[in-house]
Amino acid sequence: MKDYVYDGSFEGLLTTLFYTYKEKDSLCIYKKEDYIPSLIEEVLTIITEEDKADRVYRSLLSKLSFETLTNVYHLYLSDLPQSENLILDYIRLCYQYSATINLAKNNPIIHKVENYTRKVTLEAHRMIGFVRFREIHSGIFYAQIEPDHHILPLIIEHFQKRFSNQYFIIHDLKRELALVYNKQEAYLKDFSPEEKEKLLNFANKDGFEELFKSYYKATTIPERLNERQRRSYMPRRYWKHLFEVSS
Amino acid sequence: MDIKTKLEILSDAAKYDVSCSSSGSRRPTQKGDLGSTAAAGICHSFTPDGRCISLFKILLTNYCQYDCAYCMNRKSNDIPRAAFTVDEVIDLTIHFYRRNYIEGLFLSSAIFKSPNHTMELLTTIVRKLRQEQGFKGYIHLKAIPGADEILIHEAGLYVDRMSVNIELPSSSSLKRLAPDKKKEEIFTPMKSISTHIVSHQEEWKKSQKAPLFVPGGQSTQLIIGATPDSDLNILTLTQKLYDKYRLKRVYYSAYVPVNKDKELPSIENPPTLREHRLYQSDWLLRFYGFRANELLDEEHPNLDIYFDPKTSWALAHLDQFPVEINKASYPLLLRVPGIGVRSAQRIMSSRRIAPLDYSDLKKLGIVLKRAQYFITCNTKYYGSVALDEDRIRKALRPTSFSADIGKTYEQLSLFTSSPKPLLLIEDSLSALTGEI
Repeated sequence: MKDYVYDGSFEGLLTTLFYTYKEKDSLCIYKKEDYIPSLIEEVLTIITEEDKADRVYRSLLSKLSFETLTNVYHLYLSDLPQSENLILDYIRLCYQYSATINLAKNNPIIHKVENYTRKVTLEAHRMIGFVRFREIHSGIFYAQIEPDHHILPLIIEHFQKRFSNQYFIIHDLKRELALVYNKQEAYLKDFSPEEKEKLLNFANKDGFEELFKSYYKATTIPERLNERQRRSYMPRRYWKHLFEVSS
Repeated sequence: MDIKTKLEILSDAAKYDVSCSSSGSRRPTQKGDLGSTAAAGICHSFTPDGRCISLFKILLTNYCQYDCAYCMNRKSNDIPRAAFTVDEVIDLTIHFYRRNYIEGLFLSSAIFKSPNHTMELLTTIVRKLRQEQGFKGYIHLKAIPGADEILIHEAGLYVDRMSVNIELPSSSSLKRLAPDKKKEEIFTPMKSISTHIVSHQEEWKKSQKAPLFVPGGQSTQLIIGATPDSDLNILTLTQKLYDKYRLKRVYYSAYVPVNKDKELPSIENPPTLREHRLYQSDWLLRFYGFRANELLDEEHPNLDIYFDPKTSWALAHLDQFPVEINKASYPLLLRVPGIGVRSAQRIMSSRRIAPLDYSDLKKLGIVLKRAQYFITCNTKYYGSVALDEDRIRKALRPTSFSADIGKTYEQLSLFTSSPKPLLLIEDSLSALTGEI
């Protein structure tokens, strides 16, 4: 058994796929930050190589399909344990039978891929609604999220289009990463917990949170309470950053 | 009166309008605009009643000159009244929107002074939002029954969706409970909006620069359980609305007893299960290729409370079953209880690669609990009982029914020892038979 460790970037993963695709022995792929060194296993550290990553990317796109490539990317963003190994199994399957194997929804690997990618796209869709901005300075907005999956890259386009005339930062506390938009372009940037404290100190008490809380309360129909339904649409783990329910 | 109090009064007054969807619109935006619309619609929060908050749903005012028996804002009710100014509505919408609390505005109003006056105020707000604020978010506007066609048409140029609420499903109910409203006042604007939508769509096909008119389509709402109208009446009306006026959605709202009136049924709980069954049927009409007259007829004018409408239909048409999973056409698969749109698509897709085993079906999301009695897989029947109406009916009949429908009421029934949820059925029945 071999352990492959890569730097955690998508290019790093593609490089790893390049080197592991033909590997006959059983193996495990880890992100560097998640890897706990083991005494028994042989460890191979993969250094990202742009040209190898590029070759894999092009091959996925031309020999397989855009859909397959998208699935690989979403699996990578899932941050779920063993998702890299699933990616390897998945592309091996696809290269063997061509991308049409994606139609076989009963195949255990395809089934699992669909499950995982749906989790990621569902959370990205939910987050588009659950982001709550605070105005930290006139015209500058800041929000915090703690999603299960690394969904920031999937929501860039939406927020950039929607709030094209305001500065904003969406901060993923779990990954210490932020989506920053400066009215020109949007990009991802490392963001430390200290910066978060600093930014929150600036947050205005402009009263709109209070107003929205009143709205939230008034628009509820008490005769129809259905807590279970609320939690299934808006799971508890997200409540921390939803001020209308958090306190 | 401060803005918070106004907000409380006027959102409380608007909450019985169930429509919240923000989907189906396309509004081109440019860099520098505020807002966008998402084809799939986006929910921003969920209230303890499990309903989503997508749009900021308010009344412009609840000062009303009408006296509709079912409505909490009726003239004769002694309740706090308020009215927003045009700028207050715009201000709140923009600030909430910039903070990503909402997907847009849902603006309705009581009839203040006259239908035309009210409609003019509503139109002013949406015009200002679009033209002065450059707002490109979603706007759902109520067309006020009885208002001038020109006013409604102008508003239609600014909004994404418009709706005229029918509320009461028959003219006799309308006469009894909403004496100030006339049937024509509801259907005339609906018809005119629908004609305009079609003609603007034609224009749009020729040139994408043509002005948009209600690109998100039209919807309406019916109140369930306040009148003796049968489910057959309601579904037939729904079907006509989809066919004739090309409505995007018909919403059903279980009647919540907000008023005491001799014309109204006295019910303890809103008939939410009946509402649920109607929504299930509505989905069958829109996505599963069913027609209203297949689901109900004069002999069975009401939906079965114990079985979902598709199962009821299948039980009454057992001669068309079982269907072979590996051979049946897509429209036929959609008619099998336990198979939804997504699982039917998965079956069609997987079948192109290889035939399916029975053990695959669960993976595809098929609910075998129901589907097992209506399918064969490679010619083998897997149902736990034979293909016989009575036996299947017995096997499928919910055993712990009160627990099932009590879901909605777990909060309320926690401290009551009586099986309160069961009243639900009686509630809906009493309204159905007209014992009110």
